[in-house]
Amino acid sequence: MVDYLIFAAGLIASSIIAIGIAISYSLILPGIERKVQARIQQRIGPPILTPGFWTVIKFGYKSKMEPIAQMPKFYKYLVYFGVGFVALLFLFRTPFWWAVLGWGSILGIAGMLKLEEVLYVLMGSQSQSILSTSMPVPDLAKGSKMPCVRREFVEQHSSERALKMMAIGSLPIYLALVVPFVAARSPLISMVVAYQNPSYFFAPWYGLPLPSSPIILSISGFLAAIVYLMGYVMLLNEKPFSILKAKADVIEGGVLEYASKLRGYYYIMRNLLLFTMSSIFVTLFIGIPFDPLMPLAFITNMLLSLILPVSLAILAAFSPILTFRQIYPITVSLSAIGVLAMILTISL
Amino acid sequence: MAENAKSNTPAKVIEKELSFGPVHPALIEPYRIRLFVNDEYVEDCEITINMAYRGIEKLFEGLPVDRALLIAEKVCGICSHVHAFNSVRVVEGGLKINVPERANYIRVLTHETQRITSHLILLAHAFEVLGHETFSMRTFLLRETFMDLMGYLGGNRVMASVAVIGGIRPRADLTEPLKRAILDRIDEFEKKYLNFVERVLADPMVMARLTGVGFMTKEEAIKWYATGPTGRGSAWDFDLRRDMKEYKPFDFNIITQDGCDNKARIVVRALEVIESVKIIRQVVKNIPDGPIINNEWCVARMDYTTAYNESYRGELMHSYALDDRGLLRNYKIRTPTITNLAAMEQVCIGDHVTDAIVTIASCDPCLTCCTRAEVVESGKSRSMSELEIVKKFGWRR
Repeated sequence: MVDYLIFAAGLIASSIIAIGIAISYSLILPGIERKVQARIQQRIGPPILTPGFWTVIKFGYKSKMEPIAQMPKFYKYLVYFGVGFVALLFLFRTPFWWAVLGWGSILGIAGMLKLEEVLYVLMGSQSQSILSTSMPVPDLAKGSKMPCVRREFVEQHSSERALKMMAIGSLPIYLALVVPFVAARSPLISMVVAYQNPSYFFAPWYGLPLPSSPIILSISGFLAAIVYLMGYVMLLNEKPFSILKAKADVIEGGVLEYASKLRGYYYIMRNLLLFTMSSIFVTLFIGIPFDPLMPLAFITNMLLSLILPVSLAILAAFSPILTFRQIYPITVSLSAIGVLAMILTISL
Repeated sequence: MAENAKSNTPAKVIEKELSFGPVHPALIEPYRIRLFVNDEYVEDCEITINMAYRGIEKLFEGLPVDRALLIAEKVCGICSHVHAFNSVRVVEGGLKINVPERANYIRVLTHETQRITSHLILLAHAFEVLGHETFSMRTFLLRETFMDLMGYLGGNRVMASVAVIGGIRPRADLTEPLKRAILDRIDEFEKKYLNFVERVLADPMVMARLTGVGFMTKEEAIKWYATGPTGRGSAWDFDLRRDMKEYKPFDFNIITQDGCDNKARIVVRALEVIESVKIIRQVVKNIPDGPIINNEWCVARMDYTTAYNESYRGELMHSYALDDRGLLRNYKIRTPTITNLAAMEQVCIGDHVTDAIVTIASCDPCLTCCTRAEVVESGKSRSMSELEIVKKFGWRR
């Protein structure tokens, strides 16, 4: 009984520390991302803390705005759910959670990611901003070439795109996620870390256990890492795969109506996901977990977690938004590479 | 049999209507686009303008001609010079005013400088709509050279006010230091610009978005009268500069592309920039000495006179008459967007929704310049004729 209580206390303490560190750190990442893009575009760019940290603080002080949505309350709760899902996704791969009901496994990660993706479909179907159908222009008075056609909000269109991205676009990241688990022949994160970094389990709290055989250095691991990077961009709906929030037509998509505090929460959700997914990458492909009770390990994890956001910023700076005409073949190719990585992992 | 087949043809099924604007981040001007789409593909399109009626043509009414022409420049910010230029060409044609050769050279210089700024703004906007911020910002950076040159010429980067009746403003005369500055700046620009264009054309992702999208054949371009680079992107070899007397001393090519798609329309503009640079260089090197303005004229009655000009977006028409006291009557402006609008509505059919906005942008709409009056009464909307406007608001509002 006492053991359970100690474990529960450790779980709560480590979770609070982990989430605190993660949210604080994740609010710096957009600044780094924007700075990299700005340098590529021959601009100075904003101060590092402005796009993440100060933006969230600023939105916290904005006057309250009621979103225009079919069910405003539900629409507002979606963003809270989003923060919750991403926070849980982050916690599931911290070492204390590895032992809790199997959440520290591929199932926990994939499940939370899917829930996060569904949110965009729901947000899109709810939001009804003034920028499309309900814009007060004399459309109906003027008549139309096709008067009886259903009129759709741009967010609803974005919601349909989110559904397509969920069905097809997210396939590569799940394939890439599976590869380290296949290599470790186990669905548990602890086994993936043990496969790459056995010294972690014996290191003292102040130590820095370095991996002996990181998966990323194998051929299959490297292929999977590339697929993971592209899948990461798709999952975060960033350029070139930001079709569900393409400025040219659907503007911001389902999150268009989030303003003031709600937008602040949305940024926390998005930034935490940015960090979580890159931290998962470091855990699964390099073998250094984010252990809140082992300072050097989590600092190393955080520093290595910069790889993906910086790569994402570079990719976004050099690419336009791709339409489904290009996304489908890219997804098929990436999925094929993912499957190849998996086959290589099994056979080698 | 054929009739039966026709009657059995299923009616066109449209899944939904998506509408954008007039307030929308991808539209730099206030207009409404209604796309009728199936899944992601546009089956039909309807563009509504008249969101920002400024009544400029009515402002002209009854003004002295030399004062009124200052307003002509304000029709558009991007193509301010061509409106001023063409506006003075009307009265110069109607009253047979001779323009000194040196003034013509400087008018052409300003015209081509602003053509470059206009084309580069389209390229930057197209990249922005494509979602490629880096290319967009680089284009704006390149454009700065010519914005500065406009400032050097007229003292203002946007409204240079170079052309006046009978010549040009003395401020805009070409001095030796200015000539050197122009040549230095365009040499530097050309080097950077050619590298940039090569880089853009070699980018597979950008080309994937542009190639084979927004298809318009030459016949369609002629049918819808898509003038300017929009038509030249469909291999329609039509450019008014070929017949303008101001352009006779210069050697330049009319750029056409036979791709007939968004890529062709973008490439035409990109290559026209190089031709404009060529013309600017010829102006600076060959400009004759002599007066810059002919003041030997006096206002008089003038019948309706029309002047056409190759604006940056296509064919521009200005037409007006002067009464006995030299006051303006019935000023009419037909901007290129008016004729290009029909093409814009048609060419985006069959595109992906996101591509349709790029297609419309590739036709370079400038809607505030071409807007007329509109009235909505009892739930029905219609355009007002000039006579109705006059009856309702009088000659001078």
